[in-house]
Amino acid sequence: MAEARVTASGSHTGNPIRDSALGRVPQTLEDIVALNGQVWHDSLVSPTLLEIIRLRNARTVNCVFCQSVRYEVARQDGLTEARAQMVDGNYYDSQLSAREKLAVALADAYLGYPAGASAPLTAALRQEFSGAQIASMLVALMSFNLTSRTAVSIGGMPEEPLPLTLLPVSSTTP
Amino acid sequence: MAADEITSLSLDRHLTAAGAPAASFARLWRGLWAQPYVSAELLELCRLTLARLHRDEGELAAPNPYAPLPAASGERRAVVLSGGVERSTLFSDGERAILAFTETYGLDPQSLTDAQAAQVGQQLGEPGLVFLIEALGCLDARIRTARVLRDLVRHGAQLDG
Repeated sequence: MAEARVTASGSHTGNPIRDSALGRVPQTLEDIVALNGQVWHDSLVSPTLLEIIRLRNARTVNCVFCQSVRYEVARQDGLTEARAQMVDGNYYDSQLSAREKLAVALADAYLGYPAGASAPLTAALRQEFSGAQIASMLVALMSFNLTSRTAVSIGGMPEEPLPLTLLPVSSTTP
Repeated sequence: MAADEITSLSLDRHLTAAGAPAASFARLWRGLWAQPYVSAELLELCRLTLARLHRDEGELAAPNPYAPLPAASGERRAVVLSGGVERSTLFSDGERAILAFTETYGLDPQSLTDAQAAQVGQQLGEPGLVFLIEALGCLDARIRTARVLRDLVRHGAQLDG
């Protein structure tokens, strides 16, 4: 594992955001912790869909830490590990539901270079989701993408996959 | 809602239907423009660097109410848009390091080098380096979302309900 470019905050609160290097920026810390909490508590789609787009983002950004985490709330919502593993390169042919596959497609539209949504994707999203739910997934994507890219940029990322860790939402929220 | 009006700068009013998380992201965004690490002008030049990499004309043309560029910095803006910061004498070594870091981040954060991070860290300190990384994540996320929203609206989606 390469060395991190910034030392961690030095705090031991048990909250992985506060205890990471992000804890060294008091001007943004509380907003980022609050954002993460609100995404999990107040989003307009199920925890399963949130976890699916979080995992898709983690895979694309190649954040090894993020890929090793599973949120308990999504597991309780029915996203088994076998189903979480379907969020890979072959997701389209997997047993994920049509709604779940559309969430992955929206994540890919956001994560693409350049980012953008095609007319067929828009039509499919409109059939399956309300406008507010689409907006909600985009806010969740921004939150997941921001934190995973921050983790990658700070460095110290393991090269090999880590063992899976089941996290309660409460550990990363205010 | 006119699709062309959607940019990273106007994003919040297009995401209100998402409720509390959207309001929280908007609060984080507003706070970026008033902190002790990176001037609002330099942060705006970072935003323009990312917008250039996304080849997003709407984003490049949008005036930033949080960081109105002073008249004297018009030339610096032009250099950023041309991709010529590295050779320009209009920027200090520290500014060049920050804008080079931004460019690499925009292409792929995995490509950032320890040397680039160390150069920025020398200018901003470690908390400032973390702040810059967070800010770039916010800027890039908002540019991406604005692009997706623009397309969704062009193709007939309504995001307010």
